[in-house]
Amino acid sequence: MADSPVIAVEGVTKSIVNGARRVDILRGIDFSVERGQFVALMGSSGSGKSTLLGLLAGLDAVSSGSIRVDGAEITKMGEDALALLRSRKIGFVFQSFNLIPTLTAEENILLPFELSGAKGDGRQRAQELLMQVGLEHRGHHYPVQLSGGEQQRVALARAFITRPSLLLADEPTGNLDSSNGRHILELLVRINRKEGATLVMVTHDAALAAYADRSILMRDGLIVADTLQTPAELATEVVG
Amino acid sequence: MSDKSRFVVNKSPEAYTEEAGTLPWALAWRIAWRESRASLGRFAFVVAAVAIGVAALVGVRGFSNLFETVLLKEARNLMAADLSVRVFRLPTPEQENALQSLEKEGIIYTQVTESVSMLSAGPETVPLLVSVKAVDPTLYPFYGEFRAKPAGKLQDILQPDAVLVAEDLMIRFELELGDSIRLGSASFRVAGTVENEPDRMTGSLNAGPRVLMSREALERTGLITEGSRAAQRFLFRFPAAEPGKPVVNVEQVRERLKEAFPGAMISDFRQVHPAIQRGLQSATTFLSLVSLIALIVGSLGVGMAMQAHLQQKLDSIAIMKAVGARSNQILRIYGLQTLILGGTGALLGVLVGTGVQRVFPLLLERNFPVAAQIGWEPWSAMQGIATGVLSTLLFTLPSLLDIRRIRPNVILRREMEEGRKTWKERLRESRVPLATGFLILLGIGAIASWLSNSVRLGAYFVGAIVVALLVLNGIGWLLLQGLKRIAEGKTFRLSMTVRQGFGNLYRPGNHARAALVALGVGVTFTLTVYLVQGSMLASMVASAPPNMPNVFFINVQPNQQDELLRIVKSQKGLAGEPSVRSSVSMRLDQIGGKKLDDFQLEGFDRRFQRERNGREAAELPAGTTLVDGSWWSKAAGTAEAPVVSIAEDAAKALHIQVGTRIRWVAAGQPLEAMVVAIHKTEESRMDAGFDYLFPPGRLSGLPTIYFGAVRMTPADVPALQRAVYGAFPSITVINIADVLAIVQEVLDQVTIFVEFISFFAILAGVVILSASIAGTRFRRIREVAILKTLGATRSRLRGIFSVEFTLLGLVAGLMGALIASGFSALVLQRFFDAQAPFPWQPIAVCIVATVLIANVAGWLASLRILDQKPLVVLRGD
Repeated sequence: MADSPVIAVEGVTKSIVNGARRVDILRGIDFSVERGQFVALMGSSGSGKSTLLGLLAGLDAVSSGSIRVDGAEITKMGEDALALLRSRKIGFVFQSFNLIPTLTAEENILLPFELSGAKGDGRQRAQELLMQVGLEHRGHHYPVQLSGGEQQRVALARAFITRPSLLLADEPTGNLDSSNGRHILELLVRINRKEGATLVMVTHDAALAAYADRSILMRDGLIVADTLQTPAELATEVVG
Repeated sequence: MSDKSRFVVNKSPEAYTEEAGTLPWALAWRIAWRESRASLGRFAFVVAAVAIGVAALVGVRGFSNLFETVLLKEARNLMAADLSVRVFRLPTPEQENALQSLEKEGIIYTQVTESVSMLSAGPETVPLLVSVKAVDPTLYPFYGEFRAKPAGKLQDILQPDAVLVAEDLMIRFELELGDSIRLGSASFRVAGTVENEPDRMTGSLNAGPRVLMSREALERTGLITEGSRAAQRFLFRFPAAEPGKPVVNVEQVRERLKEAFPGAMISDFRQVHPAIQRGLQSATTFLSLVSLIALIVGSLGVGMAMQAHLQQKLDSIAIMKAVGARSNQILRIYGLQTLILGGTGALLGVLVGTGVQRVFPLLLERNFPVAAQIGWEPWSAMQGIATGVLSTLLFTLPSLLDIRRIRPNVILRREMEEGRKTWKERLRESRVPLATGFLILLGIGAIASWLSNSVRLGAYFVGAIVVALLVLNGIGWLLLQGLKRIAEGKTFRLSMTVRQGFGNLYRPGNHARAALVALGVGVTFTLTVYLVQGSMLASMVASAPPNMPNVFFINVQPNQQDELLRIVKSQKGLAGEPSVRSSVSMRLDQIGGKKLDDFQLEGFDRRFQRERNGREAAELPAGTTLVDGSWWSKAAGTAEAPVVSIAEDAAKALHIQVGTRIRWVAAGQPLEAMVVAIHKTEESRMDAGFDYLFPPGRLSGLPTIYFGAVRMTPADVPALQRAVYGAFPSITVINIADVLAIVQEVLDQVTIFVEFISFFAILAGVVILSASIAGTRFRRIREVAILKTLGATRSRLRGIFSVEFTLLGLVAGLMGALIASGFSALVLQRFFDAQAPFPWQPIAVCIVATVLIANVAGWLASLRILDQKPLVVLRGD
């Protein structure tokens, strides 16, 4: 399992029917991601990057092709099996934070842990993560009481709670100002390095993509470029 | 990283389908509770909707159970005895022997005779139909307290020349104590008024004000002869338990009396009197089902509110699914939320229902003095909570199951909607909603069966609900489509305010039709009750066939027939030929060799177990037709044979056919005949009262009574009553108008109950309407913001909303009015053979009231929407 790719995508297409019109969002995608890699998925609006990310998380079904996550073929799984897989192996960070408004920050972080049925002291782990994102005193606050940057930091902590092997981030800084955005991304990279997860991040910002060690560029539902960046460049950029 | 293994689970994909992490109940509860708290405003409607239905149910059933308990506790007082036997004829010598043999064992008995007769307070007054009751004042009552005014011992007051009368009789004839009244062939002194009569509820033939007298006084009237229309009640008192003496075996005594008085109504202190119990049970079942309708309307509202709530929680649900929650885990949250809401509503309903329980005695006070002794009744409260929670769950089931269809990808890409589906896909997807619908109906059926103790009634109830909902939905759809046509048509150029108001009804997410159905149910129900009770009697009188008699004469002696006919014919205002019929009371004993007791008769059919009327007829009477068999004739040799013709109703209820042999008991004597014909008589004919017709001579020697009938112009009836009373004081003249007045009084009392409960249905309708409007609150706020930005003034916005609410009220009122008038016309036609003119006035009032209600409910739910600042709303987009 250690040598096999975390993500293996083969011939994936995705179409939707909009009224009488059929729209091909993904038109045949093939790529794989090695364990521990940080991949930036780039492209302009409508290129299909968010759809691809959703398919990697099993949030939607492919029209054809197959996706394997950590060796498991998720395209053949039922909804409940996918939900269980997500709770145990995949962390997700969204552009619009997507916290549950009726749960406190700490409860939001704990949610995937409790859903996964994992044993252990989840609360202690949640506290650790709150500390890592600098919100150790805000655990009992509701999302509405937190700023945008703070909400996204809670979302980061939530994504890491089950120590997922794969972390998917959909424009995690898209709803934040540049200073907050940079801070979030640095946090994401730092925690990810500590936790050792594979990270796939959707962005259309080349400056943010520079943090990654691999960039995949998409256009009109196809991969048009797939470039590796040197870890040295990355280290200078991020850790300084 | 040493503790990493605790969190990372590396298993094959197949393993994930087997295992399930669970959402802890505590967390599910926290989310459910916090969301409920956050949506308190909307959920207040939901809770109120459930509470209203439960309150009605708990009120009705709680009161009924308590009333029954009180009746049981007071059984001796209500009967004035330990045991009572009621028959409709004077006792035979064998029966007298049976009574005396009981007396030898220490069981004392006393006879009470009840009848109706004509009372006159002077030659100038019109004789009045009164309820006569004769008792032995030295023994009556064995239990309970009899009070007269002025107070005194009954045996001192009821001298053979004195009577006690009801207070209203004194007022009606302006009588003073010591005045004289005439009853039958004797005059009596009014010695006082009846204040409290313990066994009034369990008595018989209560029509008109009470006149109480001693048995000697009754003898003097000459009213009671063999075959007279009178009830005889024998009241028994068991000896007090004493050491060394055997205790009375109640069951054994009952058996002996049952044998001696076949077909009699026997009741003892261990049970609620059968006459009251049957009435109480029927009323409880009816009112429970009416309450259930209110609850169903309320539950529909809960379903709607939950649907709107889940629509808003779409994001939260999708997020939870995205971070690993499965549909079942999310169902747990919203299932709990439904339970919280249903449970809170039910508890509140129990509180209000307890208050309702206390209102019922006030409504009943006049006839049931014991009703005021009411306490707290836990069983009906539990029943209310169970019913409230169950129906809430049932109606939210479709919304809850929809959670399964919410895809987590909506948080990534909202516009990724599914395209138009093929009919096969739609059919496949409609399987779950269909199964849910079936489950809901099954649930309602189970609740209705539980409340009515009858699976058949439960099934009928569900059938009626389905038909009513289909009709209401259909009419609602038609009316809304019609309005849409008008709004879109080119004939009228509607103002922008009206067009916007119209448009609001058809926007996606607006539950206009559901609100219409809810409000329509309430309107239909209330108006139907009003129309049926309000116009039933008037319509019956107005549409009665011209030949139908409106004056009846009972207790006519054989030697009085000719003179009676002569007097009647000499009167002014005769509108038809008067007739007199002979009648023999007889009770069915065996049918085709099978005892009558073996027949399972229910409801109205039970009347065939009692004494019914038979008479001799040489020819087929006018207005009577044969349904089967052939009439007797000399030619066929059947005129002298032991044969009979049976009324169609009796034949159907008892499965009698031509050729069946029947045995009756008439005045203790057996009578046998073979059925040769089955007949049907027009309802308007006097002969409709006869179930058995025999060839001439077959009934000779049996005690015969005579009664007559005639149709007169109503204004001339009092003169006829005076003339007949002058010649024959023992003949009772019944003016149908007086009887109808009594029926009207009873109906009015029944109506108070039904209207009281149907008020709950209307209230539930209002709550649903408010809930449905509150459900569209966010959409409205946005629309108002956009319209304000584009320059709409507050008054224009108010106009748009008012048009929408007015249209809703108008359509609901119109729909309810249409169905109610159709339904009440059907009831009048089907059950009472009466035609009602179209009730324009109540319908108009009802529609206006519904429009007002809709506006009040709508504006209550829209408060503060107009106050929102546009920028704040639009920035939050």
